[in-house]
Amino acid sequence: MVARTLDITGLTCPMTWVHTKLALERMAPGDALEVRCRPGEALESVPRSAREAGHGVTVEGTTIRIVVGG
Amino acid sequence: MSNSRRGFFRELASAVASARDATAEPGPPPPPDLTDEEIARYSRQLVLPEWGAAAQLAVSEASVLVIGAGALGAPVALYLAGAGVGRIGILDDDAVELSNLHRQLLHFTPDIGAPKAESAAAKLRYLNPGIVVEPYQVRVEADNAAALLEGQDLVVDCSDSFATRYAVNAACCAARVPLVQAGVLGMSGLVMSVKPGRTACYRCAFPVEPQDAPRCADAGVLGPAAGVIGSLQALEALKLLTGVAPAIADGFLQVDLAAAEFLRVRVRRRGDCPDCGAL
Repeated sequence: MVARTLDITGLTCPMTWVHTKLALERMAPGDALEVRCRPGEALESVPRSAREAGHGVTVEGTTIRIVVGG
Repeated sequence: MSNSRRGFFRELASAVASARDATAEPGPPPPPDLTDEEIARYSRQLVLPEWGAAAQLAVSEASVLVIGAGALGAPVALYLAGAGVGRIGILDDDAVELSNLHRQLLHFTPDIGAPKAESAAAKLRYLNPGIVVEPYQVRVEADNAAALLEGQDLVVDCSDSFATRYAVNAACCAARVPLVQAGVLGMSGLVMSVKPGRTACYRCAFPVEPQDAPRCADAGVLGPAAGVIGSLQALEALKLLTGVAPAIADGFLQVDLAAAEFLRVRVRRRGDCPDCGAL
């Protein structure tokens, strides 16, 4: 399993999800992506978009952990 | 662009699109990175569930010939340039006239008298400097169509005559180049995608030219109607280039904008079709 990190603290919607989505596209099923974001909109919408795309999501503070396909 | 890479990203995009729900299968290899500028420019399509880096690279690798820089060609070329199609040929032998401007959105009043292909190319380069735009001041005829199709991944026929449409259809079938056909008159039109040898072609749908076929000069057209039909053509082109959604193939979409009705008409391949029957 590969773990990657992505910092989207400087981005606003929809670029938060665009960069997260593109990062996820480059990863294999089972890999994990840790996304650091600001409190607020991204912390609400990025987990929801990731779940809708079929990924596993957990949130701790302002870090979103996304497991590809699972 | 080398021929060896042609179609690679299109196949990759199709694989990604079809594999989106099959999470148990290993995914395709990751595509090359997009630049920050490309991510920003194309973000509103990259964010779509159906689209992604593979689809973006598929269009950036594609060569598309737009036949006609008029009422249909304007929205087609604008949307394809905006979407990032890497090489767009725009072909027209006419000059811009005052009577064009109500519907041909690529041409402005100071362009009157200028070649349409050049006027169109200039606007498309302003829209997206990251692509290659090639203007051609020629008319498609039966004897030059094959040469004009050389190296093209897709043709979008935005011409306004049955003779040109039949010539383009025949040439695309012979070269097996996918084609988006359309026509518009008044407040109605139709759109049809053709995958030569696999789906019904324009000649299968319309074996002979209608005897009472009106011409634009006789019948007129409302600008937004052409805009709708041309936009549908552009959408078909993007579907064919990426495989992100099924094209309007083995049939056509009949659009009646006066009644606000869209009708999908099925067409079967004809074994005796002179254009695609032998494919």
